[in-house]
Amino acid sequence: MLVGKAKAGDKSAIASIVANESGRIFNLGLKLMQNVEDAEDILQETFLIFINKISTFKENSSIGTWLYRIATNVALGKLRAKELINKDISIHDTDFESLKGYEIRNWPHEPEKEMDADAFQDCLQMAMKTLPDDYRIVFVLRDLEGMSTKETARLLNISESNVKIRLMRGRLILRDQLAIKLKCVERK
Amino acid sequence: MPEHKHNKKFLERLHAQFGQDIETKILKEIAEHMGNCPDCKIYVDSVKQTVKIYKVTQSDQSVPEDVSNRLFKTLKLKRHST
Repeated sequence: MLVGKAKAGDKSAIASIVANESGRIFNLGLKLMQNVEDAEDILQETFLIFINKISTFKENSSIGTWLYRIATNVALGKLRAKELINKDISIHDTDFESLKGYEIRNWPHEPEKEMDADAFQDCLQMAMKTLPDDYRIVFVLRDLEGMSTKETARLLNISESNVKIRLMRGRLILRDQLAIKLKCVERK
Repeated sequence: MPEHKHNKKFLERLHAQFGQDIETKILKEIAEHMGNCPDCKIYVDSVKQTVKIYKVTQSDQSVPEDVSNRLFKTLKLKRHST
């Protein structure tokens, strides 16, 4: 058993786990941080922790899930170093609609076909990069990685309602950025 | 058309349900409201499509070779030949 061998310090088994799991961890880092340099830092830090802690791994979850949690915590640490992402957000803090004075009309059936592919990709990336960290991390964990509200709340140490608020705000900001680029907004 | 004000509680519930098993009662409530509200239909369609687009465009990529090489070097591990 690979995990058993890795726990006993077998370097070949550890190397196999690193090879098998590094793709998932790198991609999680990339989605959370939106740049290759930070994603690489997360990848390295995650597996350094993995090697140091593998002997204590209790096997209550799969090795992949355990690594995923380590990586998320490493990413959170990086984001927290940049700014406070754990502050509570109230549903009443701001309005839902971020397109002040405008509303969306005639949303296209296939938005990706409305502009040049490179321009569309740039627009999506820019919106993700400018999304506040506390919204982006929830959007990535919930919508892109498929984690439940409960899991996300536990991992981020925030309430489930705050996960929902952040997810909603994040989705709306991304949608609004896209709407502006697609020119499907009109003054109210 | 009169200006439509989205009901905040309704929208919160709607967002909370995306990507999850939708309770029948809430689903019925949403369907009824959407059928009579073009603004809400645009709202829901646009947010759903945004999420879908990001799921596609942020799909996983392979780890660049140089990144992988540095990882194994940092961890002082030998890479297995594939």
